[in-house]
Amino acid sequence: MLNNIIETIFSMRFLLQVIRLATPIIFASIGAFVAASCGIGNIAIESIMTFAALAGIIGSYLSGSAWVGVIVAVIVGMLTALLITFFSMRLGADPFLIMIALNTFADAVAIFILFQFTGEKGSSASLATKSLGVIDIPIIKDIPIIGEIFSGQYVLTYVCWILVILTFIVLYKTPLGMRMRACGLNADAAKTAGINVERLQKLSLALSGLFAALGGAYLSINYLKIFTKGMVSGQGWMGVAANGIANGNYLSLILSAIIFSFFRAVSIIFSSNSSFPTDLVGAIPYLSVFIILTVVSIVNYYRIKRGKVEEQ
Amino acid sequence: MTDRSDKYSNKYKLSISNPKVFDAVKMGISILIGLTISFVILIFVSNNPVNAIITILTGPLTKTRYIGGVIQSFIPYAFAGLSAGVLFKAGAFNMGSEGVFILSGVVITAIATSPITTSSILHPILCYLGAIVFGGTVMILPSLLKAKFNTNEMVVSLMLNSVYAGVAAYLVRTFLGTVQRGSNSSKDYLLTAKIGNIYEPLKISVCLFLLIAVTIILYLVMTKSRLGYQIRLAGTNPSFANYSGINAFKLSITTAAIAGVLSAMGATTALLTQTSYYTPSQSLVGIGFSGMLLAMLGRNNPIGIVIAAFLVKYLEQGSQILYFVDNKVPSEIIAIIEGVIIMLVSSQYFLRRFRERKLLEEGLEEHAE
Repeated sequence: MLNNIIETIFSMRFLLQVIRLATPIIFASIGAFVAASCGIGNIAIESIMTFAALAGIIGSYLSGSAWVGVIVAVIVGMLTALLITFFSMRLGADPFLIMIALNTFADAVAIFILFQFTGEKGSSASLATKSLGVIDIPIIKDIPIIGEIFSGQYVLTYVCWILVILTFIVLYKTPLGMRMRACGLNADAAKTAGINVERLQKLSLALSGLFAALGGAYLSINYLKIFTKGMVSGQGWMGVAANGIANGNYLSLILSAIIFSFFRAVSIIFSSNSSFPTDLVGAIPYLSVFIILTVVSIVNYYRIKRGKVEEQ
Repeated sequence: MTDRSDKYSNKYKLSISNPKVFDAVKMGISILIGLTISFVILIFVSNNPVNAIITILTGPLTKTRYIGGVIQSFIPYAFAGLSAGVLFKAGAFNMGSEGVFILSGVVITAIATSPITTSSILHPILCYLGAIVFGGTVMILPSLLKAKFNTNEMVVSLMLNSVYAGVAAYLVRTFLGTVQRGSNSSKDYLLTAKIGNIYEPLKISVCLFLLIAVTIILYLVMTKSRLGYQIRLAGTNPSFANYSGINAFKLSITTAAIAGVLSAMGATTALLTQTSYYTPSQSLVGIGFSGMLLAMLGRNNPIGIVIAAFLVKYLEQGSQILYFVDNKVPSEIIAIIEGVIIMLVSSQYFLRRFRERKLLEEGLEEHAE
């Protein structure tokens, strides 16, 4: 039986599963990263994903076009992010409290809105919605193995990987990105250098909302093709965790996101095998995040203690 | 110029320049805005919006069993709110309360289903003690990691909540479950473990007095004791607290333990007064998270939190009654009202200009005199 599982883990089907599961977590991760590199901890990713997933489905239902759904999702995601800046910058609220409140209410508000369209509180199954499909890349799709990996993935998965590269270029290779990171490193120094810190932070949070929204839209419009209650189930938080592990390192951000999705895939495989207790198997992804985050912080602690790395 | 007695009378002056009056006015206006926004939503959603908002506001008063329901159900939420309030006051963002609720439910169930005593007084007490010891310990983990290794306590506690939910479901299914309820729920509690009501119509039980006592003690600890001062100092200015010789590590562990104990008390109260068996995926879900919102509503003040818990449960009861009357309005509407109120209440600058103008006017008047 163990052989069976090991065989599955090294199969192509499993790899494809990981790629599919990684998309929303990577979206969430770069969302958290962009905000954090400008000095704002965006912990509202989870709720933005929930709102965007619902907005996407409703947009697609009302317009009859999946792409309009994606655009609606992105607008809602960015507006939610700007709502946070409105309360924290204009009204002087603690952004953490506003984001905690958003996260706690997200599910209930989503259910309220869903109910108005469907008369149900569970899912959007009764709505006839359009969804995005997969993209087959000509030539590449005929190459064995590589074709399976690089072709035939969901549309937003390609968008995701393009954005991973674009975000890196903008953050590390352009003046705008440098200014944003300057705000994150030392907001006062950035201000003295003539950077409009508040405006850049608003921009980075809006971008963060955009990425999170795409993650939500992927879940509802592209991957599951339906909105269900509690569908984000901690994936936004995994993005926040990946950002915590990365600690400013873009490569380890993406790697952590992929590792988390690996454990999600493992959990799905184990739960289809009835000889394991499903309750415990469902906890594997969260347990893996907990263990990795803890181990990384302990390692960092001892590295700082031994004086190898300067404390940030 | 003002002399000393004038300054003293200023403290009780009924004007918006008095910070306490200002806070109350701000709370009132926030509630009004929250209700107005929900009314606007009701106009779109309901056929009879005026009736709907009246039902939400006065529904629970129409029958004694409704108000009894509010009294019974608000107590666990108040405990969760007190728990979050202590943590927020110390500037800690440990969100483990939800997990403590769900996992200590297993401990409570294990004690409440086993015939360890025949005394109907001792049995609930044992449940409380078991949960308190367990909950206090479980809550410490994220804060400990944060204090020692600077691990992100928010993410850690949230991930642990999900892990605990799985563990609780597994434990109940394997060790405490019964086939009659499809193994998802536990066996029935023994009669000796359950807490009866002292005054049945309003569902008033000993737990209400326990809550009042705990609230008063917590209020005194937070405002009058050395520990409370340290917690407040660590929350408002961590580096000053550090330089004034407060042991930050010890303090954050103590705070987390207190919060865990309060959450465990909430879990025990909820299970022993409201149900006769435990369903991990249902019974206590969401109470810990709601506690954080109550702490924000009550401005981290124990008495404010308990009042907030009562009002929120009152409005929730009202919205549930509304759903019976008008099934177009799901009870989740309450989340929108709560959300608006909480965000406005936590906003420092909201209405600030209003107050500053008043202060300026008063200052000018005084000067003229």
